[in-house]
Amino acid sequence: MDIEVLIESVLNAVTAGITIGCIYGLMCIGLGMIFGIMKVVNFAQGELLMLGMFASFYLVTGGGILAFLGPYIGPFVGAMLAGPIVFLAGAFLHKFLISRVSGLRTAGSIDDGHFGQLIITLGISLILQNGGMIVFGSVPVTVQTPLSSSAFLLGPIYDDATVFLNKAKLVACAVAIITALALYFTMEFTRIGKALRAAADNPVAATYMGIDVDKYYRMAFGLGSGITAIAGGLMATYLSFGSFIGFDYVIIMYSGVVLGGIGSIMGAFWGGLTVGFVQQVSALVLPPQLQNAAIFVAFLMIVLLRPQGLFGRSAERA
Amino acid sequence: MLEVTNLSVAYGGLRALTNVSLTVNQGQFVTVVGPNGAGKSTLFKTISGVVKPMGGTITFLGDDLLALSAAERAHRGIAHVPEGRQVFKTLTVRENLEMGAYPKTGRAAWARSLDRIHTLFPILAERAQQMAGTLSGGEQQMVAIGRGLASAPKLLMLDEPSMGLAPTVTDTIFERISQIHTDGVTVLLVEQRVAEALELSDHGYVLETGHMVLEGPYETLMADDRVRKSYLGLTED
Repeated sequence: MDIEVLIESVLNAVTAGITIGCIYGLMCIGLGMIFGIMKVVNFAQGELLMLGMFASFYLVTGGGILAFLGPYIGPFVGAMLAGPIVFLAGAFLHKFLISRVSGLRTAGSIDDGHFGQLIITLGISLILQNGGMIVFGSVPVTVQTPLSSSAFLLGPIYDDATVFLNKAKLVACAVAIITALALYFTMEFTRIGKALRAAADNPVAATYMGIDVDKYYRMAFGLGSGITAIAGGLMATYLSFGSFIGFDYVIIMYSGVVLGGIGSIMGAFWGGLTVGFVQQVSALVLPPQLQNAAIFVAFLMIVLLRPQGLFGRSAERA
Repeated sequence: MLEVTNLSVAYGGLRALTNVSLTVNQGQFVTVVGPNGAGKSTLFKTISGVVKPMGGTITFLGDDLLALSAAERAHRGIAHVPEGRQVFKTLTVRENLEMGAYPKTGRAAWARSLDRIHTLFPILAERAQQMAGTLSGGEQQMVAIGRGLASAPKLLMLDEPSMGLAPTVTDTIFERISQIHTDGVTVLLVEQRVAEALELSDHGYVLETGHMVLEGPYETLMADDRVRKSYLGLTED
């Protein structure tokens, strides 16, 4: 292979890996909130991603209420608005289903409610997948923006080797990073964020502090849902999707969260980034069918060396 | 201030408390002693709302506590320092104290409370940024008590603060608790270390297998034969 072509494809894979990785990072933060911090096993997280995609789709295309914003801004505003919409959906799911198998009700029980959560969220996942097909139809759709077919050119860097930065992915990446940072600062430094972490850490003690644990669990579940939905809205601008797309991503989300280290927001982001990066860069040497296999090879190697994940810390006294 | 009347609690048909009554007056130091499994922690959990009673009433400053949610009770000025410390392990020491100050009263008094906590337990200032789960048992107990104080409570309930601690550390903890009471906080203490606990208190109760078998001021309890034999290991001579 020509050295020039090689350099070009490596550079392009790396930049695609970073941009897509940031979006995956945001997606993983959503699950990081629910699974990593609140310790709720959620197999319906992929479907929350899917709901985010469709929320954005219906807001933006086909005479949606955001159509007036035009094809450049509309899709990204749509992605941001998918957040609050799916937040409400998540909070609703939590109030009527998830709360029965999590939080104070199961604190101190043998499995901390994980068995119940597994079954309930798998059920929710199946209902949303198949219900989604009835409601949204079976034809894959996408949120179109002219940005996804245009790119910034960097270079030529070496002879004619040029880096193409897809504009849609670049904007999506920026939105993802800003959203992730906003959530990080909220969790780390605000009273609400701290109370949320306290409620997750020890629900009974949090109650003694006057923290309404049920309310905070509901909020955390809504936040986790909304964050993943924003990532979904962003992804909707560059891929076509149907109601079954969540399945492809739920495993990626879990590996990202575990890779980054359970219980850390930024860890989940870096985990997701790593997964996206490995997926894109492996495309250089592997056929597309094996990209997800590459993710798990990298995953196993990292977990072998750092069982607590990249950013996991042990809070127990040794 | 706190009035518990004829309280009965059962866990799935198993009686934990039977017709238990207890009174704590403003400014008092009240201790409940008794052996393991007597229902001391259950009494505390019922007062703070985590366990629902079968019968009886609890009033606090004239309000019916049983009508309030557990979280709401903390906002009314009750701080519960639970058995086994139960600090927020993944939060820093400072964040633990901040969570103690979650109720409005706590937030209003935050600067003053923090000063006071650091004066009582200087080590907590040193370890402010350390995760609470990495502290020693004694230090975690200090975090738990500090967290309780941070809400600027009207009533501080301490559930076996000596549990699992070395004797010298226990002495320090008891000394600080006494100081907290001298500073004007009403204290309700549950302890297995009967002699030390009763010595600090104005009024004591003896709880055995869910029944209040004895109550009275310090002098009365210390003079009682049963207390002397069963709890203090003293024999008549």
